[in-house]
Amino acid sequence: MAQAAPVAPPDLELTYEMPEQATLLSDAWRRLRRNRIALVGTVIIAILFITALISIVWTPYPVWLQAVGPTYQPPSGAHPLGLDQAGRDILSRIMGGALITIEVGIGSAIIVSLIGIPLGLLAGFYRGKVDTVISFFINIWYGIPDLLVALILVFVLSDALHLIPRGVFVIIIAFSLTRWMDVARLVRGQSLALREREFVEAARMAGARDFYLLVRHIFPNALGPIIVQATFAIPAAVLFEAFLSFLGLGLPSPTPSWGAMAADGYHGMDFAPHIVLAPTIALSLTLMAFNWLGDGLRDAFDPRMRR
Amino acid sequence: MRGTLLYIGQRLVLIAITTVLVSSIVFLLLHQIPGNAFLNETRQSEETLRAELHHYGLDLPLPQQYANWVTGVLHGNLGESLVNHGVLITPLLVRETSVSATVGFFALLVTIGLGLVLGVIAALRQNTWVDYIASSTAVIGYSVPSFVIAIFGLLLFGHYLYVWTDGTVFYQPGWGKVEQIPVPALALGLPYASYVARLTRASMLETIRTDYVRTAWAKGLKARVVVLRHALRNALIPVVTILGPLITGIITGSVVIENIFGIPGLGKEFVTSILARDYNIVIGVFTFYAALVGLANLAVDVIYPVLDPRIRY
Repeated sequence: MAQAAPVAPPDLELTYEMPEQATLLSDAWRRLRRNRIALVGTVIIAILFITALISIVWTPYPVWLQAVGPTYQPPSGAHPLGLDQAGRDILSRIMGGALITIEVGIGSAIIVSLIGIPLGLLAGFYRGKVDTVISFFINIWYGIPDLLVALILVFVLSDALHLIPRGVFVIIIAFSLTRWMDVARLVRGQSLALREREFVEAARMAGARDFYLLVRHIFPNALGPIIVQATFAIPAAVLFEAFLSFLGLGLPSPTPSWGAMAADGYHGMDFAPHIVLAPTIALSLTLMAFNWLGDGLRDAFDPRMRR
Repeated sequence: MRGTLLYIGQRLVLIAITTVLVSSIVFLLLHQIPGNAFLNETRQSEETLRAELHHYGLDLPLPQQYANWVTGVLHGNLGESLVNHGVLITPLLVRETSVSATVGFFALLVTIGLGLVLGVIAALRQNTWVDYIASSTAVIGYSVPSFVIAIFGLLLFGHYLYVWTDGTVFYQPGWGKVEQIPVPALALGLPYASYVARLTRASMLETIRTDYVRTAWAKGLKARVVVLRHALRNALIPVVTILGPLITGIITGSVVIENIFGIPGLGKEFVTSILARDYNIVIGVFTFYAALVGLANLAVDVIYPVLDPRIRY
């Protein structure tokens, strides 16, 4: 094709540089880097990840060790965030909580995607009855307080039926079972639009099977919005865990969940506010960072939607 | 008009169906639990246990129990509390709904009022310090969960205000006095207010650049008329779209807010009943929630055509 370029006047030098090959991800990354607030979010998330990783091998004190000093001790040199009502080192517990937060957030994002993507792809691609059934569930779900169903699921699965021990896993499962609809709805829309596009038509003409079309043509083209949606699932799951643990229905005690720590500190708030402040600030910062990253990714993947 | 009424009628039927379906899920989930609700009660002879099970119809086969429950719900009867014998659930929940609805209403007022005002001002003063302050507050605010705001609010108004004013002015958790409304309502409404502000700003920025708004300015209309009637009314449409999920969020948020502030509403009942294993009330509260969310969404959809006459049913 390059040989068929229009003939240029001899004195005019043709300096045509090929733009650097941009993949979806590199293109998005280039745009994301320019977004200052998303970068701040990314930095906070990086700190969170590093803290969580460190906490696996080392925390200043064991997260569960009680009475390392006087109870309710305010922040000091030895304990930068102070001690809680059982004399546990709050900094160590915040670090341990970071790991739980990451587990819940990332785990939920993965499972939500694993459920939502195939269902959305199928609904949008095959339309008809498949779509009717899947959309029925999606629409019903938009009319109910899903977190409360998830709350009941955690309760039933772990406390009542003893199927899954009360822990991170059951929270991820309950959250994902009630929240796959967001991803499914988005992917359905994408798949519905993409299946009509010429390149899909061309692949079909070339004899591609449905599975190949879905996996190699439709899914990769819907990847941007899927990543954005999965990113927003992380703070939602983290908040859900904190919400449950705060109410005493989430992770069982000594687990250093930020929600549970807030609930612990809440009772001694008048005279030892540091106990409640540390986990709530950590939680808010984390949620903020993921929301900022999500907003940044949305702008990066879809420059037309930039606001 | 007849079309609208027909539409509302259809939706009401749909809400009833959804409510029963959704609470059926919860009903079936909770009835998978082995044993029965009275296992925890010691000091109980075989006969009294059997009498109790019979009283609540828990000795019937599950399909029969389910059929009875659905019939009950359709007649507005949600049964009787398993823990407090003889307490009928429907009147109890109706009373608590009025409390929750009061908090929710004021939270919604905070959300929409504050959100719209901040959003509109930020859009009109785009790229000035007013905009930066409003936008950055919003971007922080919508990530701070309402229970964290509640804790900060309690600390600030319940504790520090008490200390600073020597106990003359402060907020006391509880319910029943007018001055106990603002703090919970703010805690519940603020995160969503930030969200509404962001959305309003974005859609206002779009509408104030449209041709018809320029025309309205060119005609020499007053600023108030241009902003409120021409720009804002159109900018509101995307905002109204999120009212549905927002109301769901406020209902979910109220569960933890009511527990923090000691407000005797549906949310407090929900948590108390789960911890006390009073399954009948849990199912009942859930049925109420499902119906409330449905009705709220219906109300939102009815507002649409008022804002945008192009939308009709």
